[in-house]
Amino acid sequence: MTDTAHSGYALDMRAVSKRFPGTLAVNQVDFRVKDGEVHALMGENGAGKSTLMKVLAGLYDDYTGEIYIDGVKRELHTPEMAKAAGIGMVYQELSLARRISIYENLLVGRLPKKNALFIDKKKAVAEAKELLARVGLGDLDPTIDVSEISQCDAQLVEIAKVLGSKPKILVMDEPTSALSSEEVQRLFAIVRSLKKQGLAIVYISHHLAEIFEIADTVTVMRDGRRVDTAPVSEVTTESLVEKMVGEPIQSFYADHSTKISGEEVLRVEDYTRWGFFHHVNFSLHRGEVLAICGLAGAGRTEIARALVSVDKVDQGKLFVGGKETHFRDFGEAIRGGLGYLSEDRKVVGLALPQTVEDNVLSCVIDKYGSGILFSAKKEDALVQEKIDEMHVYPADPQRQVNSFSGGNQQKILMAKWLAADVDILILDEPTRGVDVGAKQTIHDAVRRFAEQGKSVILLSSDLPEVVGLCDRAVILREGHIIGEIPKEGITENSLLIAANGEGGYVTCRKK
Amino acid sequence: MSEKIKATPNEPEKVDSRKTEISRFSLIFNKLGIYVVVILLTFLGMIVSKGQFFTAGNIQSILEAVALIGMVSAGLLFVVYAGNMNDMSIPMTMALGGMMTVQCINFGFPVALLVGIATGALIGLINGFMIGKLRANPIIWTWGFNLLLSGIVRVTWGGKQLYADTVARDTDFAQKSAATFYSIARTYLGSFISLMAIVMIVMFLVSWFIHAKTKFGQKLKIIGTSYDVARFSGINCTKMLIITYTICSVCASIGGIFFAALRKTASYENGTGYDFSCLTAVLLGGVLLNGGKGSVVGAFGGVLAYGILNNILSWVGLDTYSKYLVQGIVFLFIVWLNTYSNRKLGKA
Repeated sequence: MTDTAHSGYALDMRAVSKRFPGTLAVNQVDFRVKDGEVHALMGENGAGKSTLMKVLAGLYDDYTGEIYIDGVKRELHTPEMAKAAGIGMVYQELSLARRISIYENLLVGRLPKKNALFIDKKKAVAEAKELLARVGLGDLDPTIDVSEISQCDAQLVEIAKVLGSKPKILVMDEPTSALSSEEVQRLFAIVRSLKKQGLAIVYISHHLAEIFEIADTVTVMRDGRRVDTAPVSEVTTESLVEKMVGEPIQSFYADHSTKISGEEVLRVEDYTRWGFFHHVNFSLHRGEVLAICGLAGAGRTEIARALVSVDKVDQGKLFVGGKETHFRDFGEAIRGGLGYLSEDRKVVGLALPQTVEDNVLSCVIDKYGSGILFSAKKEDALVQEKIDEMHVYPADPQRQVNSFSGGNQQKILMAKWLAADVDILILDEPTRGVDVGAKQTIHDAVRRFAEQGKSVILLSSDLPEVVGLCDRAVILREGHIIGEIPKEGITENSLLIAANGEGGYVTCRKK
Repeated sequence: MSEKIKATPNEPEKVDSRKTEISRFSLIFNKLGIYVVVILLTFLGMIVSKGQFFTAGNIQSILEAVALIGMVSAGLLFVVYAGNMNDMSIPMTMALGGMMTVQCINFGFPVALLVGIATGALIGLINGFMIGKLRANPIIWTWGFNLLLSGIVRVTWGGKQLYADTVARDTDFAQKSAATFYSIARTYLGSFISLMAIVMIVMFLVSWFIHAKTKFGQKLKIIGTSYDVARFSGINCTKMLIITYTICSVCASIGGIFFAALRKTASYENGTGYDFSCLTAVLLGGVLLNGGKGSVVGAFGGVLAYGILNNILSWVGLDTYSKYLVQGIVFLFIVWLNTYSNRKLGKA
């Protein structure tokens, strides 16, 4: 590509970098989008695509590099500056106030006024109708509440809201994650018409099939760098996946050679919670690390929550150690040998204002002390042992958890579940958003855990993690288990393609 | 395109020590700072009372006032600590505890006492079930329940005040029970230590033991910090909250029984105002309004400080209405301070 200035790009980002403490999230990235183009941005979790788009949205004031919009150099240090520069963001999580009418949501902050006191409702409704027509919702009544319309319509209203600020560049971050396939087609029709109107569209998605359907150009990012940019017509599923995964980081994941005895420690049959997962069957063996893979929203977390009785299932049987078991609550599940490391550390994982000791012992309070007494002596050694094992720094059990870094907090969460002394541990995104060192520590702990003859169910979107740790993977798509990949077959490519529903590339053993 | 990706070297992690220092400071202050306040207030009391602060009469009146607030606070602190802010049904629990005791005085004093406490336990069980099991909003539910109880009391007794000696039948046994009932608020050990103060101190010792030494106290700490974290640590939150509210209401009913004995009447308005004055005392003692932090030792200091403050206001010669004004200001100040230290602890 030529490097001459103002070369007809709607968006031209040059050598943009953004550093977070400890990591370079975006590293010297050049990213260009033409007018009237749908440009897909791809990469695994943590590749830096969201950070790059956040730079564009004006959420950081300390990025480096230059950004040209329509050939004019712009500084994007606040969301207002980004909006003024013509950038519209459609976020994954809807940012609409659900109990408020559509037109008020659409025109938030700029409702037309009759005079100093009153809002010109007629004008507002007319303006809202106009915006809705642009996203194919011309017949929707703008005065009803957002909570009354479907998820898909809400997503379209969100786009209409962004269009209201007359952007030149529209960024859509996983807009289809909550939509059914017909709704996706409706969305695509809108995207095509917006493209015809000359908008430059950046489209972020994990679904490979969508990229081939809607995008003109695709840029792949990996580890904060732009790997490649190419017209969609010149790439294939395989080449995209290869670029996203890049050189396998196999060296980082020491080979894991646990002997798996045939003994079955857990089995679910016909496990169903209507609307979340259906007729799920799988089993787990002693010393095994089993991955449940699938895209976000495929029902992984819901299965885990049901296994430990946080949620109730509608039908199905759970066998633990060969016996049919029914836990009444999570406490009983823990006593029965099942632990669940939840994905949201801050909300349900750790009591942040309390000490490390309080947190590490929170699952096993009943085991320490006699009768109703809680003795603080005996378990001191246990807490110290667990936090040393997890290399928590500083290794002070009396320190408050919220004074630790994110990576160390995650290690403390892992220590808590190691201290719980369960035989089967379900790990839900155990290394999301942590640095490489903490990741390594947690992976080592998982391996040691499995080598002790205990078993792990791993739910992770981090594909190298699944490849490096797991003995077997079951593939979950839209709440159904569609197949199983044995250890030999687990590669990042096979997992990506299986989860995306590109059958044929790997032989999935149908259950 | 095929550049090698190096894993970022594991940099030593930076630790924000400021946060710990702040929280350590506010912890120490929360625990012991209140006793500094108590000592300062005592000096202030000596000045405004012109040296009569330490007379037997004044000590007695401080202890009596403190004892009632203290008994209720010894239970209320668990509700606050568990993250439920306040038990608004305290006034009617106190009133009903006193009224049931007086109503049953004919069965002998011990039985009457047990009935009064059992009434409190029943109210606590209902509160705990509604809040722990059905997840009703703790403030709205207890407030509404207080209203319901007050309705029940007025319908049952028609708004009458109950006097133990008139309720008691004209037998020796019943009259003796009534006399015993009155005497519990008027028994002194030595020259000025009242039985009420001793009961309160014993209740605080029990609270301290439950809070600091038992598994229940340890679990309550996690629940108070975050209900969801507790749930996802396998703690039976429903059971814990039912126990918490039962402890609180039992303490309130004991307070109510002594209140009725002290005033010689049991009526529906006996506990009025105790919901907020006890909360003020508990918060003064450094228990966080949002739960999870605080100690029984601190709460005891809060009760002392609140009692002495009220005593000083009397010495200054404030009338009841002006007292309300000062109490309101103190309450708002304490809530502000509480929210402030909450923010410092990174919770609010």
